[in-house]
Amino acid sequence: MKKVGKKRKHAETIPEPKKELVAEERPKRTLLGWKDKPVVNENEAVAPTFRNKEKVLITSSRRINYRYRHLMLNLVSLLPHCKKDSKVESKATKGATLNELVELRSCSSCLFFECRKHKDLYLWMTKSPSGPSIKFLVNAVHTMEELKLTGNHLNGSRPLLSFTTNFDKDAHWKLIKEMITQIFGTPKDHRKQKPYYDHVFVFSIVDGHIWFRNYQISCPHTGADKIDRGGLEKMTLIEVGPRFCLNPIKIFGGSFGGPTLYENPLYISPNQIRALEKKKKSGKFAQKVKAKTRRRMHEMSNPLEQDEFADMWKD
Amino acid sequence: MVVHKGRKVVNKGSKVSDKEAVKDAEIEDLDVEVSDQDLESEDLDVEDSDQDLESEDLDVEVSDQDLKSEDLDVEVSDQDSESEEDEGDAKPNAPPQKAVYDRAGLLDKLGDVSWPENVEWLHKLTLNFSQEKEVDVNDDLNRELAFYTQALDSTREAFMKFESMDMPFLRPSDYYAEMVKSDNHMEKVRGRLLAEKRRIEEAEERRKARENKKMSKDIQAQKLRERAKEKKNEIESVKKWRKQRQQSGFAGNGKDTDIGLSFEDGNTFERSNKKRPGVHPGDRSGGKARQGAGKGKPGADKKRKGRDFKESKYGFGGRKGMKKQNTAETTNDMRDFSKSFSKNKKRKT
Repeated sequence: MKKVGKKRKHAETIPEPKKELVAEERPKRTLLGWKDKPVVNENEAVAPTFRNKEKVLITSSRRINYRYRHLMLNLVSLLPHCKKDSKVESKATKGATLNELVELRSCSSCLFFECRKHKDLYLWMTKSPSGPSIKFLVNAVHTMEELKLTGNHLNGSRPLLSFTTNFDKDAHWKLIKEMITQIFGTPKDHRKQKPYYDHVFVFSIVDGHIWFRNYQISCPHTGADKIDRGGLEKMTLIEVGPRFCLNPIKIFGGSFGGPTLYENPLYISPNQIRALEKKKKSGKFAQKVKAKTRRRMHEMSNPLEQDEFADMWKD
Repeated sequence: MVVHKGRKVVNKGSKVSDKEAVKDAEIEDLDVEVSDQDLESEDLDVEDSDQDLESEDLDVEVSDQDLKSEDLDVEVSDQDSESEEDEGDAKPNAPPQKAVYDRAGLLDKLGDVSWPENVEWLHKLTLNFSQEKEVDVNDDLNRELAFYTQALDSTREAFMKFESMDMPFLRPSDYYAEMVKSDNHMEKVRGRLLAEKRRIEEAEERRKARENKKMSKDIQAQKLRERAKEKKNEIESVKKWRKQRQQSGFAGNGKDTDIGLSFEDGNTFERSNKKRPGVHPGDRSGGKARQGAGKGKPGADKKRKGRDFKESKYGFGGRKGMKKQNTAETTNDMRDFSKSFSKNKKRKT
């Protein structure tokens, strides 16, 4: 890891780190003589400087829907630290392929949009190479192209990430929150990043699903970087999009595979839902037949009494 | 009790199917059971009927899933008891009995993945927002409102932090850079907004016109009423005056009559100065010419020479006939007589 920190001249930390490094080398010269004060990273002694070097690979499966493809492209435009790759065949061995791909593109995480049957979108959120990976079902998709969403913001400014507190309730939510923070947050001092903060991502758990919203922050201010209370009060948000809703299905230990760590007990696959609907519709005729036969049975078992006045008017 | 019913029904169903000799006995059985339970669910207990509903109409809606799946859980447990006695006709879409939850593994992974503890907030930019009350997912408006308030609250918090850190965070108005949405797209958005605004305005106008139409009838009626009332008042006052005169025995030949009569203040017999709508400017009954004459102000003379007056008299608009004939006003109008003549007369006498 490359260490970049504020370089400062430090007197106390001279002895230990200097010894091995500089013993053989000639001390550096300056114009006026030997450079006697060594330059040592300040934070090195305390803790390694943290530098976020997250890179996200974004790709999709083949035969993806246009709507979902647009969603993917929206995310590409929102995450300046991502790399987009060509589509990947979605088959049993896609895990290995994707892992390879992630490594090839030297990314540390991956968002894989898997579309099945042209209607169901699954999202894989993966840390590479050692996992974990989360599989979501994506519903309620609205892309940024929709004209209802009128906001706009800088391409590449860092988003604020707002989470509801119920992300801290359970282990799996905590893990998901951490992953989202890493993947959706733009690394500080990333080269494509733009200064200023003009949009906010909202992640909210409602009803066991994670809802995503993206708002532009529009704040009246007078050029200076001070905003008073009134400015904060007057601040409004305009939705930029996209919108989607993630339903966690499973969490795996490895990247695109590995032991299952979590399984959503409430998850019902869209296939099942469709099958049920179909079945519900299909039973109509059978039910009618059943009802008819039952009626006949009933009539046979309880015959009507002979009506004594039946042939009254016959003659 | 529930189980018994179920079994009975199944037997019945199988009997039926035997009689009917339908092909697939097993499927029939299942179907019969479902349908019969539906029909007879009145005598089953409430929970069971709920189940039926549940298994029958699983909605696609995401939002309902939570509730439903809770019910499904109940169902599962019930099914267990059923299957023990009834050789398992478990429904195909039951959720997995035991969902995996490896808490230790999850926390372990979390430890692996997460950034060191003492990372500055500027790296993460995460904000937490505690939602006080439950949000109903089906209520679109409230749900979106909840998200909005969350975003707003978090943004405020973040901005306070930025401000305390004393770093620039607001985009200056002269900072231009590439935006997420292209100008082309924003133009479209603006067009749509404008179109929407226009549509609303037009609708509003139409509504107003409709209302005016309704109102115009009322206004007309009110005018008529007013006029009738005025007329009545005048007649009354004349009657009163007559009565008074009679009582006083026609004594005062004119000076006494002035007392307390409303029409005596001169307003009643004078025509109103208001220009009547729909009357041409040259019309004697209410046109411009009349207005000028009626006022009798010193400025009126001057006004007469104006273009308007000339036009009204000689040319544009209005009725052309009767213009040169005398009216009550013109006969009373003595302005054209030379004053010197009368003065001389006075001097002589």
